[in-house]
Amino acid sequence: RRELPDGGARPSVAQFKQLVVSALRELHGEVGAALPVDVLTYEEKTLSAILRVISSGLVKLWSALTLLGFYQNRRCAFRVLQTSPFLLALSGNSRELVLD
Amino acid sequence: AALSRRYVLCEVVSEDPRCRQCIEDRAVGLAVRDAIGRVHGDHGLACCSISFTGAGGGGLPRRGRGRGARAHRCACAPAVKYLNAYTGTVLLRCRRDSYRLLCSALPFVRQLESRNQRYPCFLHTLHVGGTIRTCQKFLIQYNRRQLLLLLQNCTNEEERRCIQKSLLSCSLTEEQSQSGDEEDDDGTE
Repeated sequence: RRELPDGGARPSVAQFKQLVVSALRELHGEVGAALPVDVLTYEEKTLSAILRVISSGLVKLWSALTLLGFYQNRRCAFRVLQTSPFLLALSGNSRELVLD
Repeated sequence: AALSRRYVLCEVVSEDPRCRQCIEDRAVGLAVRDAIGRVHGDHGLACCSISFTGAGGGGLPRRGRGRGARAHRCACAPAVKYLNAYTGTVLLRCRRDSYRLLCSALPFVRQLESRNQRYPCFLHTLHVGGTIRTCQKFLIQYNRRQLLLLLQNCTNEEERRCIQKSLLSCSLTEEQSQSGDEEDDDGTE
């Protein structure tokens, strides 16, 4: 999942995907922009999404998102909450588990 | 060796004969750097460590650190090590770990630009080697083969003799590292 803290207008799904692809293009060029990235879910309220990418492209995607600083001239940041090869594992975040 | 390099030998091919005078180290280096930036982004640019300190050769390959003391010490070095405007031969240098980035970006070089003039061209990769010496040896053999091809297409008897003389005299001598490269016979083109 990615989360971006933002002040003003929220990006839509298409704009979010465009943001991801442009981050890849900046850091990794046309080769990076051609990496097939899918947005599986996107919540506009919390600005979090689940992205799917081929495992060999994880490093490129993660580094591109980390270095992305601006969205429409506003500062923003991507925070990676969880990565996993299985979609089911993303439903529960083991970091947030609390011992009773 | 701590920091190994790979040397990529390529040839500038262009339909426009005026492109020959446009071939200079800065123009070629800029074009290659552009292509890498487009294809591989900032990461690729940084990996291939292409920068200019203004020390590109005027046609002579430099041995070792012949550039002398420089005020700024950059880890990267000029990428165009050797250039021959007559044959359009260019020798590029990059780090061993990222030579694939450089080689894959070379087909994306579409034009050379210098002095506000643009000429469409493409780079034809001839050889990738670990040292300048291996590239030189390959270049000598390649040029010899090219001269033989030119010999077959020769129409003029005088040109034939000229080429035969060049063929017999091409070799790699120790004191001058450039004696192996022969110029193309422009009359037969």
